[in-house]
Amino acid sequence: MINSDQLSGFFWLAISIFVCIEASRVGIGDVHSQGPGFLPFLSGVMLGTFSIILVVTSTLRKPAKREVKNLWKGMSWGKVVLVLILLLIYALLLSILGYLIATFGLIIVLFGIVGKTEVWIKVVAGIITVLATYIVFYVWLEVQLPKGILGF
Amino acid sequence: MIIFHNLFYGFSVALQPEHILVCFLGVLLGTLIGVLPGIGPLGAIAILLPATFRMSPVSAIIMLAGIYYGAMYGGSITSILVNIPGEAASVVTCLDGHEMAKQGRAGPALGIAAFGSFFAGTLGIVGLMVFAAPLAEFALKFGPPEYFGVIFLGMTLLMYLSRGSLLKGVMMAVFGLIISFVGLDPIEGSPRLTFNLLQLWDGIGIVPLAMGLFGIAEILINIEESAAHEVLKTKIKNIFPNFSDWMQSKGAILRGSILGFFLGILPGGGAIISSFVSYGLEKRISKEPEKFGRGAIEGVAGPESANNSATAGAFVPLFTLGIPSNVVMALLFGALTIHGMRPGPFLMTNHPDLFWGVVSSMYIGNIMLLILNVPLIPLWVQVLKIPYKILFPLILLFCIIGAYSIRSSIFDVLLTIIFGMIGYLFRKFDYEAAPLVLAFVLGPLFESNLRQSLTLSKGSFSIFFTRPISAVSIILAIVLLVIGFMPYFTKAREKFEAK
Repeated sequence: MINSDQLSGFFWLAISIFVCIEASRVGIGDVHSQGPGFLPFLSGVMLGTFSIILVVTSTLRKPAKREVKNLWKGMSWGKVVLVLILLLIYALLLSILGYLIATFGLIIVLFGIVGKTEVWIKVVAGIITVLATYIVFYVWLEVQLPKGILGF
Repeated sequence: MIIFHNLFYGFSVALQPEHILVCFLGVLLGTLIGVLPGIGPLGAIAILLPATFRMSPVSAIIMLAGIYYGAMYGGSITSILVNIPGEAASVVTCLDGHEMAKQGRAGPALGIAAFGSFFAGTLGIVGLMVFAAPLAEFALKFGPPEYFGVIFLGMTLLMYLSRGSLLKGVMMAVFGLIISFVGLDPIEGSPRLTFNLLQLWDGIGIVPLAMGLFGIAEILINIEESAAHEVLKTKIKNIFPNFSDWMQSKGAILRGSILGFFLGILPGGGAIISSFVSYGLEKRISKEPEKFGRGAIEGVAGPESANNSATAGAFVPLFTLGIPSNVVMALLFGALTIHGMRPGPFLMTNHPDLFWGVVSSMYIGNIMLLILNVPLIPLWVQVLKIPYKILFPLILLFCIIGAYSIRSSIFDVLLTIIFGMIGYLFRKFDYEAAPLVLAFVLGPLFESNLRQSLTLSKGSFSIFFTRPISAVSIILAIVLLVIGFMPYFTKAREKFEAK
C-alpha cells in the first residue's frame, strides 16, 4: 500500500517535471546570460531531486508509518469537501447573484455544517452577518463588492 | 541623545488620534485572535491586510504590528485556561500554565504571563531602537551577493528550524520560489508559468496565498477534527502575582526577554522557537527541574516573555536589511511593499515617521495590552466560549472578502480557495507552509540579487565566496543543510544494505 510520503513525492516529481518543461519553453539561457526560465528550471531540478529522495527514503522506511487512507480515518472529511464545494460555487455565483444574496445563501448553509442550528437562528445570523460585513467593507472601507445582475 | 530625539518624534506620530485608534484596534484584534484557538496572528494579518489598504502606511503597519504582538499576549489565556495554545508561540505555556490553573492558580499564571509579556515587550522595543540604526548603516555596504547570501541563509534557517522533516521544509521553500516566479520575468518581461492566463501576468498575490494556506486551511482542519474546547471551570483570583511568585519569576522574565529578542532577530527565528528555547533554558538551570510540567511559574514567565520580546526583535532585520526573519514578518514585508514602501537600510532615513512611529506605538500598545489583559481577563474567558459553528463561517467570509477586495477579482477568490485546499493537504501530509511563504516573499529579491551578482561576475559563482558576508552566510547555510540531510543518506544507506 502506498504511504503518504510516496504519494506526495510522486506529486512533487510531476510538478517539477512540469516546471522544467515550462522553463525550457520560455528559455533557460546560461550562467552568463540567464533567460526567464533560468531560476525556474534550477528550482524544478531541485524539487525533482528532493522528491526522488523523499520517495526513496519513504520506500526504504519500515514499517510504512502512514498509509494514505489513514490520514482521513475517523475524520469528518466529508464536511471539508462540502465546504470547499460551497466556496467554489459561491465564488462562481458571486458576480451573478451579487454579494448580498450569494453571501446570505453561503452563510445560512455554513451555519448548519458544524452542529445543529435552528433555521430561524441561521436566517437571523445570516442577515446580521451580511449587513454588518456590507457596512464595514462596502460603506466604511469602500471595497467594491460585486453587485450581480440584479444590481445590488 | 539622537535616539531620544527620534523617540520623541516617534511619539508625536504615534500619539496622533488616528494612530492611537489603529494601535488599539490592532492589539484588541491581536488579543482576540490570540485567545481564539484555530486562527493565529499569521491568518489574522493575512485576513486584515486588505482592510489596511485605505489607511496610510504608518497606520497600516501600526495596526498589523499590534495584531502580531497582541496575539502573543492573548495566546497565553487559552493555553492556561483551555490547555490549547491560542497560537503556536504559546504551546509551551500549556505545560505549566494549565497545571497552575488546575491547582487553582489560574490568576497568578495569567498575571505573570501578562506582566512578563509587558516587561519583555518593552525591553524588546528598546533593543529594536538600539540595534536598528547601526545595522541599517552596516547594511548600506551590502551589494547583490551579500543580499543573496543573507536571504539564502535566512531561508535555510527557517527550513532548518521548522518542525518536522527538513527535506519537506526544503521542498516547501523551493516550491515557494517557483510560485514567486509566476508572472512576467523581471528583466525580459516575458510571461512564465502563467498557464496562458492573463490574470497571472502580475504574479500571485501574497494575500490569496497566505489567506488560503493559513486562514482557510486552518478552518478546514478544525472542521474536520470538530474538537470541542472546554474552558476550565475555575475562579480566577489573585491576578497580581504575590511576592514569592515575583521572586521566582524575575530571573526567568529577564532571561526570556534577552534570549527572545536575539532569537527574534535571527533569520528563521521568532516567537515560537524563542518560547521553546526559553522553557528549555529555565528547566535546565532550575534547582528544581522536576517542578516543570507540574505548575512551575517560571515555565510560564520565561516563554511568555521570550515570545513577546522576539516579536520586537523580528522587526530589526525587516526594517534594516529589508529581509523578513520569519513568516509573519514576510507578510508585513508584503504589506509595506503594497503600501509603496521599500523595507531596507533606507527605510529609517526615508520614512522616519514609519520606523519611529511604529516603534513608539509599540510602547503604547504594550501598555494597552496590559490594561486589556489584566482587568479584562473575565471578558476573554467569555470570548473563549463562543461556539466554533458560529465563528468559522465568519472567518471564511472575511478570507473571501479580503481576497476579493485587493483587485476586485473573482480570480483571486478562486486562488484563495485553491490555496486553502492545498494548505489543508499540506497539513494532512505533514508539510509546513511557513518556508513556502517566506521563500515566496523573498523569491523576487532572491532572483534579482542572484542574477545581478552573476552579471557582475560574468557568470562566475565565485563572487559569492570572495566577499566575506556572502561567503560566511552561504557556507553557514550549506553546513546547516549538510548536517540536516546527513541522517537521510546514512539511514537510507543502512536500510538499503540491510535489504
